[in-house]
Amino acid sequence: MAGLELLSDQGYRLDGRKATELRKLQARMGVFGQADGSAYMEQGNTKALAVVYGPHEVRGSRSKSLHDRAVINCQYSMATFSTAERKRRPHGDRKSSEMSLHLKQTFEAAVLTQLYPRSQIDIYVKILQSDGGNYSACVNAATLALVDAGIPMRDYVCACTAGFVEDTPLADLCHAEESGGGTTLSLALLPRSESIALVQMDARLHQDHLPALMEAATVACKGLSKVLDDVVRQHLQEVSVQTRE
Amino acid sequence: MDIIHSCFKAQIGEVVLPGDVFRFNVSSVEDDSSVKAEKIICGPGLRRNGDEIQVYKSGILRHKQPNLYWIDSQQKRYVPVKGESVIGIVTAKTGDIFKVDVGSSEQASLSYLAFEGATKRNRPNVQVGDLVYAQFIIANKDMEPELVCIDSCGRANGMGVFGADGLLFKVSLGLVRRLLSPQSEIVKDLEKIFPFEMVVGLNGRVWIKAKTIQQTLIVANLLESCENMTAQQRQALFKRVADGAL
Amino acid sequence: MRETPLSNCERDFLLKSIEAKKRLDGRQTYDYRNIKITFGTDYGCCTVCLGKTRVLAQVSCELVPPKDARPTEGLMFFNLELSPMASPGFQSNRQSELLVTLNRQLERCLRNSRCIDTESLCVISGEKVWQIRVDVHVLNHDGNLMDAASVAAISALSHFKRPEVAIQGRDVTVFSPEERDPVPLSVYHMPICVSFAFFQQGTYLLVDPCEKEEQVMDGLLVIAMNKHREICFIQSSGGIMLLKDQVLRCSKIASVKVSEITELISKALENDKRVRKEGGKFGFAESVAKERITVLTREEAPLEMTDVQATADEIISKADAPPEVVPSPVIVATGTGQVGEGLQSTWGLEDDDDEEEEMSDLTEREKKKDEVMVISDSEEEEVVILNQAGQSKCS
Repeated sequence: MAGLELLSDQGYRLDGRKATELRKLQARMGVFGQADGSAYMEQGNTKALAVVYGPHEVRGSRSKSLHDRAVINCQYSMATFSTAERKRRPHGDRKSSEMSLHLKQTFEAAVLTQLYPRSQIDIYVKILQSDGGNYSACVNAATLALVDAGIPMRDYVCACTAGFVEDTPLADLCHAEESGGGTTLSLALLPRSESIALVQMDARLHQDHLPALMEAATVACKGLSKVLDDVVRQHLQEVSVQTRE
Repeated sequence: MDIIHSCFKAQIGEVVLPGDVFRFNVSSVEDDSSVKAEKIICGPGLRRNGDEIQVYKSGILRHKQPNLYWIDSQQKRYVPVKGESVIGIVTAKTGDIFKVDVGSSEQASLSYLAFEGATKRNRPNVQVGDLVYAQFIIANKDMEPELVCIDSCGRANGMGVFGADGLLFKVSLGLVRRLLSPQSEIVKDLEKIFPFEMVVGLNGRVWIKAKTIQQTLIVANLLESCENMTAQQRQALFKRVADGAL
Repeated sequence: MRETPLSNCERDFLLKSIEAKKRLDGRQTYDYRNIKITFGTDYGCCTVCLGKTRVLAQVSCELVPPKDARPTEGLMFFNLELSPMASPGFQSNRQSELLVTLNRQLERCLRNSRCIDTESLCVISGEKVWQIRVDVHVLNHDGNLMDAASVAAISALSHFKRPEVAIQGRDVTVFSPEERDPVPLSVYHMPICVSFAFFQQGTYLLVDPCEKEEQVMDGLLVIAMNKHREICFIQSSGGIMLLKDQVLRCSKIASVKVSEITELISKALENDKRVRKEGGKFGFAESVAKERITVLTREEAPLEMTDVQATADEIISKADAPPEVVPSPVIVATGTGQVGEGLQSTWGLEDDDDEEEEMSDLTEREKKKDEVMVISDSEEEEVVILNQAGQSKCS
């Protein structure tokens, strides 16, 4: 967009952050009573809710159940009030289906599904306010919800976006930066082993810049994982204080 | 019944199309009392319609002495026929039977007890996804096809579940029949290249196993390419392979 | 319709041969199958054959009002259809995962990368713009639909010519192709997708998987690039874990492949332009060879034959000295014995009779054992089954 500088001369972005700074992260676990696990996550202005049910019996057709592992079922939807213009189709359109598919693949890689054959784990994610980084917020919220539900996982799954402006990689993009036409890389990472569960990139980027961009995203994800770790520990402490005799 | 033979003779080795008829003048035959009643066996592709024999598949008319006629047609989809041996893939184990996919319109059933040495206590070691070489005992249009892995004496006779390794691939039905004919030139030529094991199912599936993976791949590719080659082209190709120059 | 299930034997063989760096049709791990691009008689119609995978793309255009947010830009709409024609497993009217994935990837590859100049599609700002619609139909599925679809779509877009328009005030006159020559679209660059299939948790990777390889793969990584070495999009799918340097390595391989494919497309476009100018015959009818078998022919597959000679010698030399290999005789079970070396019988049942054949001379040992079953094609009850050729001799 003309007239909007994504990176000023002093190195400040639109919202005053530096190039590699993440947005303010807040999360709470165990927000709903019915669900086996739930979490609410705020990453800057992006707000996401995640709810986990499972492992439970496979609903619908019995043929969908796998004999050696659990089926992971994800549904992604955006609230109609989440974007600047009212969203007419909250779920069922192609973008939401694609997002649900990506979430499913990300968590199939991270959850130890071999421990629950012939069962199903449901993950429902809803975006309440969308300001860039939808996929990352969903993944982070779903990770917390899975941890809350006690489902065994290989590691946290942390996701973050990264962009590229004038040879500088930016971490954690907001909506204005994403739609500015520059590159957006979404990365879902298991921080301890640095293995990538999902990588997704749009818009043109010269091949030589790819290593730098991926490095920036990796570093951002690792920083995120520390924050998530803190949230989980705090939650556990609160819970254990209440149950301690 | 030489009249009938002569009717056919003109067309043996020629391409015939569905709807072609072979008509016989029965009245002229009945006058001749010296003619004995003879049988003419109509194979696949031919059908009797009153006094005529109609062709219902396109292909080449073939004849085998003394009285067998059939149409040699080309197709990829298999229709089960009683007594034919096929390679099937086990898709499900339900109750007392296995469900086996043979590439036809219906899945065939294979009973647990239809293996050599199988009893109610001693079940055969077959998993979902295994290959079996079996024979049809029931295959008609009114019932679900059934397979067995033993012959009428109760012996396996080469049938049963496959071991590990080997490559399975699909070819057309015409090539499969050519491979299974007693004086198959293709098989003779292939023998000379290197030793391998081969199982041919009449549903178009062929299983190959050679000493190394590379040899297996070579044999599989050679077989698939024999589909439309003349004898000379094939022999030239095999010679090149044998020389190691391909 | 039900698809033929994949047997364990095929799966094991495929995984083993991938570990030994061999592919079913003799390609190397980074090789593409033969790509053939043909154009139809209309502008904007293109068929791509990637090995046996066949995909058809058609581009059309119409005048529509633009989006409110972008009044000066034209619109692009992509649609990919998996018809049941392509594979028995596809069903029409069903939003399968594959369909959604392919559609979204095609959209992102071509729309977000801005390969077409949309500003030039504007006729009257705020009122009328051209909407370009790309329809991709899959005709035959033999693996790697994404690559074929992206090549077909971008070739069709480069081939397409839209009608010329004249604007006078608020009136728009659209000229038919006979009145004025149609105008080609301005294509900035050609993004091409390259697919990498991963096996055994990311240890092995293959470029351009065929259908059998796709059925056993763990996951897929698609990278779209253009020949200027700009990455247009990356997408990983399937539940695999990748490492950063794997992704970087794949991007390097992709850049090489993309430049080759872009060459092919430009050559095909030039050929077509030349043929049209010279007045020769062009279109699909010309590309399908007449009076020749179309489906069951195979092109020469480059199979590695280098050490076959050595192996053959090895077999002969081994056969010469059986006592060193197998102590003879070996009693396998009561009543049967094994002398010399032969191929292990692979029947799951105890079938030791085969071993007795090895007592015959050397050449016999090398002869393969196969089941020769003669069953006449007649629908008669009588069925003739011949036993194994060797066995009838011994017994």
